[in-house]
Amino acid sequence: MFTGFPHPIRPTSSAAFPLTVEGARAVLRCGRQRAPCGGGWGALLLAALVAVAAPAVAKPQRVVSLNLCADELALRLADPGVVKSVTWLSQDPRNANAAAKAAALPANDGHAEEALGYAADLVLLGPFSDPASIALLKQTAAPVVEVGAPQTLAGVRWQIRDLAAALGEPQRGEALIADMEARLARVSIDRREPRPTAMVLQPNGFTVGRGSLIDDILTRAGLDNLAARRLDIAADSQVPLEVVASLAPDVLILDRSDERAPSLAEAALDHPAIVALEPRMTVVSLPARLWTCGGPEIAEAVERLAAAAAAARAGRATP
Amino acid sequence: MSARAAGAETAYGPLVAALAALTLAATVVSLSVGYARLDLAGALSDAFAGRSTVAAVVLEQIRLPRAALGAAVGFSLGLAGAALQGLLRNPLADPGVIGVSGGAAFGAVVVFYSGFAGAFALAMPLGGVAGAVAAALSLYALVGRGAGTMTLILAGVTVNSFAGALTALALNLSPNPYAAYEIMFWLMGSLADRSLPQLWLALPLTGAGWALLLASAPALDALTLGEDTAASLGFDLARLRAQLIAGAALAVGAAVAVTGAIGFVGLVAPHLLRPLVGNRPGRLLLVSGFGGAIVLLVADIVVRLIPVHPELKLGVATALIGAPLLYGLIDRMRREA
Repeated sequence: MFTGFPHPIRPTSSAAFPLTVEGARAVLRCGRQRAPCGGGWGALLLAALVAVAAPAVAKPQRVVSLNLCADELALRLADPGVVKSVTWLSQDPRNANAAAKAAALPANDGHAEEALGYAADLVLLGPFSDPASIALLKQTAAPVVEVGAPQTLAGVRWQIRDLAAALGEPQRGEALIADMEARLARVSIDRREPRPTAMVLQPNGFTVGRGSLIDDILTRAGLDNLAARRLDIAADSQVPLEVVASLAPDVLILDRSDERAPSLAEAALDHPAIVALEPRMTVVSLPARLWTCGGPEIAEAVERLAAAAAAARAGRATP
Repeated sequence: MSARAAGAETAYGPLVAALAALTLAATVVSLSVGYARLDLAGALSDAFAGRSTVAAVVLEQIRLPRAALGAAVGFSLGLAGAALQGLLRNPLADPGVIGVSGGAAFGAVVVFYSGFAGAFALAMPLGGVAGAVAAALSLYALVGRGAGTMTLILAGVTVNSFAGALTALALNLSPNPYAAYEIMFWLMGSLADRSLPQLWLALPLTGAGWALLLASAPALDALTLGEDTAASLGFDLARLRAQLIAGAALAVGAAVAVTGAIGFVGLVAPHLLRPLVGNRPGRLLLVSGFGGAIVLLVADIVVRLIPVHPELKLGVATALIGAPLLYGLIDRMRREA
C-alpha cells in the first residue's frame, strides 16, 4: 500500500548510516546505560538479528533539532540524553506535545550556527529550513536529516519510520506506528451517506482544503470537508467569515488552544456570528498541536473529530 | 460677509442633506455587497422577526458591523482631518499623514497585546485615544500654530514612523505567533470580519469626539480672521486648541482601535469639499465627516469587489487614491509659495 510513496525524510549525508559493526557496538553500549533499551540478552539477540537483516545504524549520540516537528518525534524516539537541544517552540505547552521533556533541554532558535555549538552528530531540520542553513551544516560535515510535512496519514507513518531509522531506533518507530494504528483502528466511524459536513477555521480565517493532511484526517473521521468539495480550495486558504457562516457546516472545527496570548488572529474564532450559529452546528475545538506536525498525535485528532461527527449525526436525527 | 460666502451659505443645508443621503446609500450598498450570496430582503425580515437564520446572522453580525463601522470610522477620519486642518491652518493635516492614527494604533496595540483589553470593555478604545493624544500633543509642540508645510510634513513623518516602529516593537515582544501578520492590520487598517460589540465600543467615544469637534465650528470660522480678531470676538483660543485636539483624539483613537490606521481619508474628503463650503473651516467640519464616510464606504466596497484573495487592506485602497492627491497638493502649494 505504501510502496512508491515519496519518503518525506531524506538523509542528506551518508554519515547518518555508518557501518554495521559500529551499530552493533552502539547497541552493546546501550546495555550499560540507564536508558531503557530492551535490556539483557534479548536486546543483544535482537541487535544481532537487525545487524543481519538490515544495514544497522549507529545511534547518533548528539542530536540537535532545529524544527518543532522534528523535536517532538526525536524526543519520543531517541534515548534520554541523546537529544541535546530543541527549538524554543517545543517548550511552550500551547503548541507542543512534548513540552515537559523539551523544557529540560537547552532551547535553540532554529539557526544552523546553534547546532554547531553542540558538536552534533545529527542535525534535524524542517521542511521550511533556510537553504543557507542547510548548506552551512553540510559544509561542516554534520549529518543532516530533513523532516517533511506529511500530507497524508500514510506520509505520517513514513515520517516516523524514517526518522526512527536515522536515530537508530527502528523498533521504537515501529512501536509508535503500531500504537497509532491501534488507536485509529479503535475509532468507530459511521460511513453512511450523507456524511456530516465540516469546515476548519484556523486563526486569521484560514481553512484547509484538498490535498492536505487535515483533509485526510477529516475524511478518515467520516466528515465531508466543505472547503475541499464545495469551495474547491487546495491546501490552506483564507476564507471570509461570511462564507463559513453561510455554508453553515454540521461540524465547525476551530483551531484554538485553551490558553493563549491575545491576538487578532484567534479573536476571529470568537466572532459573535460563530457564537450565534453555535446552536445549529457542532463546534469542536482542536488545538493545532494535534495536527500541525503530522506526528502520532493525529490519532487523537481523528478520535475527537469522529466523536463530533457522531454528535452531528445525532443532532440531525433529532432536530 | 462676502457675497460668495453668503451664496455658499444658502447651499449649505442642501449640501449636508445630499451628503447624508449619499452616506446612507453607500451604507446600504455596503450591506448588500459580500462574499456570500445573501437574500437581503429575506435576511432583513428574519432579523426583524428575531429568527436567527443563517442569513439573518450574516446580515446582523457580519455585514451590519462592517457597514456601520465603515460609516462611523470614515466620518471620524473626515471630520478630524477637517478639524486638524483648521487648527494647524494647513490643508495637508490628515490624521494618517501627521501620525495621529499611528499613535492611536500604538496605544490600542499596547492595551490589546498586554492582555489589558480584558480588564474593562473600554480599555482598548481608550488606549487608542491615549495614543492619539500623545501623538497630537507631540506634533503640536513641534509645529504650533500656522507652521510651514515643510515643518508639518517632517514632524508628521517623524511621529508616524516612530509610532509605527513602536507598534511593530510591541507586537514583536508579544508572545503571539501571528504578530508579524497582525502588524499589517494595525498599519493599514481593515473592516473585514469586525463585530457588533466592536461597533458599540467605538461609538460612545467617537460620538463624544464628534460633538467636541462640531462644537468648535464657530471658533474655527472666527480664527480665519486672525487670532487677535477671534480673541476679541470672545473666543478662548487655548480652550479651542484643547477642544480640537481632544475631539480629534477621541474620534480617531477609538476608530483606529477597532479598524487599524486607515490613511488619507481625512485628506481626501476635506480637499474635495472645501470649495463647496466657501472655504469656511467651520462649515467644512460636518460635510467632511459625511465625505469621509462616503470615501471609506466606497473604498471598502471596492476591496470586496476586486477579486484579490485575501482581500486588500483598506489602507492600500485609500492610499492609492490619497497619495497621488497629496502629491498634487504639495506640488500646487510649492508653486504658489
